[in-house]
Amino acid sequence: MLLDFHKLGAWRWVLTAICAVMSLFLLLPILFIVALSFGNSRWLIFPPPGWTLKWYEELFADPRWIGAALTSAKIGVIVMVISVVLGLLASLALVRGTFRGRAVLRAFFLTPMVLPVVIVAVALYAAFLRLGLNGTLPGFVIAHVIVALPFAIITITGALETFDPAIEDAAILCGASPWEARLRVTLPGIRHGLFSAAIFSFLISWDEVVLAIFMASPTLQTLPVKVWTTLRQDLTPVIAAASTLLVALTVLLMIAAAVLRKGKSE
Amino acid sequence: MFSAATRRGSGLGFAMSAILLLAAFFVIPVVFLLTRSVTEPQLGLQNYAALVGSTTYAKVFFNTFLVAGVVTLVTVLIAFPVAWALAIMPGRWASVVFAIILLSMWTNLLARTYAWMVLLQQTGLINRMLKAIGLIDQPLQLTNNLIGVTIGMVYIMLPFMILPLMGVIKKIDPAILQAAALCGATKWQALTRVLVPLAAPGIASGALMVFVMSLGYYVTPSLLGGTANMMLAELIAQQVQSLVNWGMGGAAAFLLLLVTLGLYAVQLRFFEPKEGR
Amino acid sequence: MTPFLHINGIRKTYGDVVATDHVELSIAEGEFMTFLGPSGSGKSTTLYILAGFQDPTSGDIKLRGQSILQTPSHKRNIGMVFQRYTLFPHLTVGENVAFPLRVRRMGQSEVAEKVKRALALVRLDGFEDRMPAKMSGGQQQRVALARALVYDPPVLLMDEPLSALDKKLREEIQFEIRRIHQETGVTILYVTHDQEEALRLSDRIAIFNKGKIEQVGTGPELYANPATHFVADFIGDSAFLAGELAGVAEGRAGLRFADGSTVAAVPLHGRGIAGQAAELMLRPERIELSPEPGPEGASLPVTVEDLTFLGNNTTVSARTGWGGALSVRLNFGHPLSARIARGDRLHIRWAPEAAHAFVRG
Repeated sequence: MLLDFHKLGAWRWVLTAICAVMSLFLLLPILFIVALSFGNSRWLIFPPPGWTLKWYEELFADPRWIGAALTSAKIGVIVMVISVVLGLLASLALVRGTFRGRAVLRAFFLTPMVLPVVIVAVALYAAFLRLGLNGTLPGFVIAHVIVALPFAIITITGALETFDPAIEDAAILCGASPWEARLRVTLPGIRHGLFSAAIFSFLISWDEVVLAIFMASPTLQTLPVKVWTTLRQDLTPVIAAASTLLVALTVLLMIAAAVLRKGKSE
Repeated sequence: MFSAATRRGSGLGFAMSAILLLAAFFVIPVVFLLTRSVTEPQLGLQNYAALVGSTTYAKVFFNTFLVAGVVTLVTVLIAFPVAWALAIMPGRWASVVFAIILLSMWTNLLARTYAWMVLLQQTGLINRMLKAIGLIDQPLQLTNNLIGVTIGMVYIMLPFMILPLMGVIKKIDPAILQAAALCGATKWQALTRVLVPLAAPGIASGALMVFVMSLGYYVTPSLLGGTANMMLAELIAQQVQSLVNWGMGGAAAFLLLLVTLGLYAVQLRFFEPKEGR
Repeated sequence: MTPFLHINGIRKTYGDVVATDHVELSIAEGEFMTFLGPSGSGKSTTLYILAGFQDPTSGDIKLRGQSILQTPSHKRNIGMVFQRYTLFPHLTVGENVAFPLRVRRMGQSEVAEKVKRALALVRLDGFEDRMPAKMSGGQQQRVALARALVYDPPVLLMDEPLSALDKKLREEIQFEIRRIHQETGVTILYVTHDQEEALRLSDRIAIFNKGKIEQVGTGPELYANPATHFVADFIGDSAFLAGELAGVAEGRAGLRFADGSTVAAVPLHGRGIAGQAAELMLRPERIELSPEPGPEGASLPVTVEDLTFLGNNTTVSARTGWGGALSVRLNFGHPLSARIARGDRLHIRWAPEAAHAFVRG
């Protein structure tokens, strides 16, 4: 009875109300910054006395914002490629391998995900100070691959586990060499998993703050680092404008992921 | 059973690049950091003694566990009814709520924290609304303290609690609750004696995850809490970045690591379904 | 003369577990050979060794006199249809069938020509542009068959290809497989645990049990003349009555049962001497039930225990004097079926060639 929505009676309205309130709690702050980004109050009065695009103009006029966004994008794309390639190879070993200790290896691959990022950040900061990688593009990329890789591995192993290895066997008996079979049959067969892993990896790098704060230098910083440093000075509406653009990007990627899922179910 | 693809053994070699990367840039740096906690400034446990002995650090630990505990409790209390509703709601409404949860989860963390900084400030919308309806005369101090941190963290943690819990509740066979009703259980009895106990493993494992994540959180506490209300992750960052005290930073990191891994071990031991291998 | 395909003493072990034990079999070109046996009997292992997915611990496999064990799977040029659906999900039906030709770098026009012919063979003309996910299980297995045959392999392996289909569809595709076998003349090795399927399809059947081949022969041979208890039990229903050998002469034996009753001159399988434990096997449709005893040595008294009406026949469950259970079928309309009841004392009788004796051991 409790698991049949229509038989819940009055309780059904209680649950619906809780859901509605929680949805508003989750949604309103996001809508709020979107509104503020178009409001003309520097002091973030809500509702804004008037509407303007000047925060966006300020954002796009500032080469530091643009530079940070480009850096973020560059790092995100490189992280995406490396995570997917390494994630694919590691997943092939985890799912198709027959060696002992696969469960341990899988747990090992996932540890960067469960440890507090701040520990990884501080540890890498120390190492990079010695290696001279602080404030460099490779430094950012390595740090972000460490945290993006577990998500790529989870997504790709998931896809690989549902892909019947007998299909690869069939390709081999048809005359394809093992590598040809992987490339022409297995990879296309798990392409949805690879795309999702790519989107995840990019988003993780794009949104990552803590590692980036430690990796950044005055000359090289990502968008989140720029937001972070600006935020600590004042709550300027320019951040609302930047945040709105980030929300827009998230929505776009979510739609892309949903379309992918739909393509998979068909 | 037999398969050429398995037999050909995409072997350990395939994973080597990832293993080497993690070894070089994850395992070794973390181990290095932890060893510095007992070697700097000189060999010994003086950093740990200082961490345990001082009231300043005691306050950091207290803040950390208090916030993590309250955030976990509030998150569970909100997430359970929401997850329950989502598991059984008609498809269209469930998918709207679901989309909102995903949107919130994937929206940039700084953007979300920024929103709460603006909403909760003295001249912010929340204070002005409370004043407008006559609940308060003076604006409440909602940022730069643990209240702000707690609100911001609950906001961030909710999706991590709702989504797994929804999965657990969806797997419960509705017939069990029909049986409870036929046995004469009232709705309240069915809830407290059947539904909640059946969902308990999901609640416990979700709560543990939220608690562990909250313990090590850095961004939201430092933006909404201010320096006076420091939590553990901030302490680590501060020791290393501003004070360049690697020994102390390493020691604090080690304690955080220990608690985190300990709680995950509890989770794996008691709440994870055993893999069928 | 060298056989077309010779499986020569194949043995495969996993640690202490013996999967196949000196499997020895010769298959003629164009033959339809079925490996029949329960799961874990080694029939699939033998097939996987042929495909190159497993390496035998010892033994050899020769195709036209040449060993194929050193050739990797993808160069063996063997066709295979799997138990699960293994069409490449991202390719159309036409591209699935073209796949073996494309990896062989065959010219475009030849590919198109061969794909068309292969699809026509499995009666799926015009399905080239369909995606596999939009097809029924039966259609998918027919595409898989076309894909396995399009490169004209000398041998086609089929690993329980119909086990995922329902019974009616299974019979339909069995018919198709027979037709395709006749049209192409390809040598087929077919694995199944379904005796009816094996009997319907095969030229010859190899019965596998515990890693060994118990008997090879045509369906009628196996049914009429089972070499072992296992074969007798696996093919067709039979009753086994336990007793001991009373005397052995010229391949025939007399048996004595616990209550002292005897039967005489039954064909004996396996070596045995008087006094050894043995079993009498009777096929239910070859036993006659009668109020009168039959000729001495080919008849036993029984008590009727139960009657089950099954449409075209009534199955009578009965017990012998010492408690051995057996069943007898009375065709619909048999004069006795209306007259007998539980507890009746009757006699069973049989033609001398319908019974077999197996030494126990």
